Amino acid sequence: MTAAQIFAIIIFVGMFVMIVLDKIERHYVTLGSGALTLLVVFGICMHSGNAITDTLAVKQFFTKDFWYQVTESESKGINWATIIFIAGMMVMVEGMAKAGFFRWLCMKIAYLVKCRTVPIFITFMLMSAVLSMFIDSITVIMFLAAVTIELATLLRFNPVPMILSEIFCANLGGSATMCGDPPNIIVGTSLGFSFFDFLTNTGLCAAICLVISMIFLYFAFRKEISGGKHEPVDLSKFPKPSEAITNKKDFVISSVIFGLAVLLLVTHATTHLTVASIGLFIAAVTLIAFGRHAKELLKKVDYKTLLFFIGLFVVVSGLEETGILKLIANFIGDISGGDVRLMIAIILWVSAIASAFVDNIPFAATMVPVIQSLAESSGVPISTLAWSLSIGTDIGGSATPIGASANVVGTSVAQKNGYPIGWGRYCKKLAPATVIVLAISTVYLFVRYL
Amino acid sequence: MSQYIISVGREFGSGGRVIAEELAKRFNIPIYDRHLITAIANKTGLTPEEIEKYNEKPKNHLLSRRVNGFSNSIEDNIAEMQFSFLREKALSGESFVVVGRCSETKLRDFKCLISLFILGDREKKIRRVMEVYDLPEDKAKAFIDKKDRKRKRYHNYHCEGHWGDSRLYDLSINSSRLGISRTIDLLEEYVKARISEE
Repeated sequence: MTAAQIFAIIIFVGMFVMIVLDKIERHYVTLGSGALTLLVVFGICMHSGNAITDTLAVKQFFTKDFWYQVTESESKGINWATIIFIAGMMVMVEGMAKAGFFRWLCMKIAYLVKCRTVPIFITFMLMSAVLSMFIDSITVIMFLAAVTIELATLLRFNPVPMILSEIFCANLGGSATMCGDPPNIIVGTSLGFSFFDFLTNTGLCAAICLVISMIFLYFAFRKEISGGKHEPVDLSKFPKPSEAITNKKDFVISSVIFGLAVLLLVTHATTHLTVASIGLFIAAVTLIAFGRHAKELLKKVDYKTLLFFIGLFVVVSGLEETGILKLIANFIGDISGGDVRLMIAIILWVSAIASAFVDNIPFAATMVPVIQSLAESSGVPISTLAWSLSIGTDIGGSATPIGASANVVGTSVAQKNGYPIGWGRYCKKLAPATVIVLAISTVYLFVRYL
Repeated sequence: MSQYIISVGREFGSGGRVIAEELAKRFNIPIYDRHLITAIANKTGLTPEEIEKYNEKPKNHLLSRRVNGFSNSIEDNIAEMQFSFLREKALSGESFVVVGRCSETKLRDFKCLISLFILGDREKKIRRVMEVYDLPEDKAKAFIDKKDRKRKRYHNYHCEGHWGDSRLYDLSINSSRLGISRTIDLLEEYVKARISEE
């Protein structure tokens, strides 16, 4: 093993440990680790200026392919497309939140089902999954959980089962599209897949799993859900959905922009606009539309997450450039003995188990070059491995309270309102649900791609 | 000064809680210690036992995660609720005594904050814990170490400064030197001086 490889591993493991320990904010950790990778691994050990320029990948911005792509291509180094797209969506979501869109939607649906507990449970699960297909699950759960608690107080039911189910469905919905969950954006932009590719592959799997999960969660929680107040609900005592709208004009604008974003994403394989172009366009339209409030929206963008991504991509490039990820790919190839079935199972289940305990974003970023290498050496189509990786990382995160961002946000909102959700309470129903969904996904992957 | 907040940090066995209670009595202001737990229990619907279980307890790093300021750790959320409660009280203009809860840091923006830290000689602390909790010496020693370790981890996780570092407090005092009763007298004088000065 070369010095560069040893340092790349030390930096990567150190970064992971620091993220888990949570002593220093995670964007400082990845940026610091990224700087060390550039300096020690590429500079001192490899003396490779090319490795540094390839990793920083600034040239990408000046290529036509980065904005308008006729043929699908793979990217290396810092995945700027992911970062620009996420930033754009953040601006759009901030605009929607400011206008009161999410709260309005939650209240509207609750009204449509006449504020009855079981229909709210079902529709909120569905809404969580559908919204998470296009919007980050943190935002979805933040609003859904808050409204669920509000409704629970008024209707006197325990909101915990509903919040847990919403979390689970948000993660499941996120797995359905390219922009649903950060690992999918990384997989899609790194390997050149379109929104439609995801929808027709992981999306179909997510749809099947969603139906089964909703049935499972209903039966798992039915006693707690239907144990609430049974007398007829007086809707006049409830806050009106229209009260959630802070500004009608902003509300209409943000709804139109959201519709436009969905349209652009669904058609991006036909229009050849890359996700980077879509992200930039959506951000620009939102900022122009919100005019004097644009500065306020920009301030609310989660720059820390964007910086976290930049540092992370540099560290993963360290592992890639030094050949560590190729070694891991060869190892997976060896233990599977060339058996595609075993390869899929390993990628799916290892990704799922890892994502249940560690952040699935660094895991997915690390695994993308691994599956690229594995596909080259084994001849297995990269798409098959990509869908296994996406489903594994997205779904596995549902198993524990720390597996995905939505889980942390949902449990935190519940706790702050007096409903503590510990590991036991969380895992009792959602860990088995995760295993069931993973088992279905395994069968789906085997049947469809083998 | 019309409003004053007395924050009392303390080593276990130093008599910090007793001192805080007596100061609250002498100045005729409420004290937030155990009472804080009851207040949060009333506000959230949690039982005091549930809150007590996670009170002033550091989180388990391996079992918790933080995302955009949200944390899945019950310990973190109970702590945040206590900090918010204290801030609300401070903002309302109320004068009070608060024991622990990183209050010297969390309320440092309030000019009316008077922050104290009570420490003690180890031997004296052991003897006091043996008496108060009816424990043999070895158990009292272990109890003190455990409690102080917990408080230190809790404080240092939620604050930038180190627990017990004199630079964080207006006044750090060893209660073993004068004894608890005379320490209270001295602190009362100090608080009065602060109140009259500003």
